[in-house]
Amino acid sequence: MSAIINISTGQLLIALVFILIAQISSFIYHLGLNRDITVGTIRTFAQLFLMGYVLTYILKTSNPWLVLSVFMVMVVSAMFIIKGRVKEKQIPYIIPTFLTMLVSYLATAIFVSGLVVGITPWWEPRYFIPAGGMVIGNSMSALAISLERLFRDMRQQKELVEMKLCLGADYREASIDIFRNAVSAGMIPSINAMMGVGLVFIPGMMSGQILAGTDPLIAIRYQIVVMLMLVGSTAVSSVVVMLFVRRRCFGSGEEVLLSPR
Amino acid sequence: MTSLLEIRNLSFAYDGSTSLVFDQLDLTVKEGDYILVKGPSGSGKSTLLRLICRLNQPQGGSILFQGNDITSIPPAKLRSAVSYVAQIPQMIDASVEENLLLPFSFAINKAKTRPGTEELRELLRKYYLADVSPSQSAMKLSIGQKQRLAIMRSLLQNPVLLLLDEPTSALDHESAAMVFSIMESLNYEHCKTLITVTHIDYKPETVSPITYNLVHRSLHILP
Repeated sequence: MSAIINISTGQLLIALVFILIAQISSFIYHLGLNRDITVGTIRTFAQLFLMGYVLTYILKTSNPWLVLSVFMVMVVSAMFIIKGRVKEKQIPYIIPTFLTMLVSYLATAIFVSGLVVGITPWWEPRYFIPAGGMVIGNSMSALAISLERLFRDMRQQKELVEMKLCLGADYREASIDIFRNAVSAGMIPSINAMMGVGLVFIPGMMSGQILAGTDPLIAIRYQIVVMLMLVGSTAVSSVVVMLFVRRRCFGSGEEVLLSPR
Repeated sequence: MTSLLEIRNLSFAYDGSTSLVFDQLDLTVKEGDYILVKGPSGSGKSTLLRLICRLNQPQGGSILFQGNDITSIPPAKLRSAVSYVAQIPQMIDASVEENLLLPFSFAINKAKTRPGTEELRELLRKYYLADVSPSQSAMKLSIGQKQRLAIMRSLLQNPVLLLLDEPTSALDHESAAMVFSIMESLNYEHCKTLITVTHIDYKPETVSPITYNLVHRSLHILP
């Protein structure tokens, strides 16, 4: 296979023509997206260049603490993004969500890089950080969807939950349908992705490996591991977070704490 | 006769509010009592019932059920014994039979005897629901039928104390008369202890209730 072709700064700037097209579309049709497109473009450049320099540095060193620190920054950032999307004031969901994300994503990334790929040491940044990033990015969206659904349904169905409580249900029994719906809502995008992969779209990681000259038959193996990893980590983190947060929706007397907005 | 329910010095305010709904409220209920709580809208009648079954938590005071503080009783066990029927009856999207048997799907009621379909038909007749089939959808019933079904469902788990929150507020005169008749027969024939809150002027025909007026944040007995 031929060596990978570098993209020069000039060529990178040529790609801005796509942004120009988007800006013109927004301007002509008064979409009001010009500012967001500009900010998004600047953030894309800044964040990815920063990540590129950080990864270049980390790949040269052999410091597990540095690798874990980067992982921690990624989880904290994901938590802030979830907090921005889930506008819930009554129920304190941040700490259980953050701790579950940290533990489950760390376990998944260690499992994949250490056991499935079989890298020694397990924290080898070339494998551990991309694996962690994919797990965090995917599950972050799933958790935001699940949390939004849980809080929305608990509010909308408060009278129904209370009716079940009054017929002798404990809080788990009274909210089992809401719990199931919340977990499923978060997991469906990952499951749909498994249905469409290879047919409807070629995932980013596999595309990147192929562009970098990897044999497609090796790239698909990595991609299969990634798809399975994403479904597993989404399931574990969604179930655990929903279990903790659902309990927090009920008080000491198993009464519903959420009041209608 | 021993006290079934004792409320002492109860105080309550809604979240974020400084004004008390109840202040030093007391109430004693004995087994077999038929308690009527009257009072204007917004006086806290529904809240009083919700506090007894722990759907709300008081700021102060105590509620004893059969001599035990309700906070020391597991919530599911308490609510199986002290059953609250809300003002607006709630049904799951299923048949009448599935709705009636809903309490038996919960762990606390698993050991209790489930009525069969024929027994349910007989009960439906007693609750003026003879024209309702166990297999039909509960969601399609009228509000009056749902209210009677909700009372019937609560009683199937054989509670010690039944709390009825404005059971006739959404009903026409005929449906309301049926519900009152059911409530009175529960007390008179089956010795059930009831606390009913209502804002309408209702005088039972076959039982002698103890009537309270809920005003100025506490209960005042009416002659």
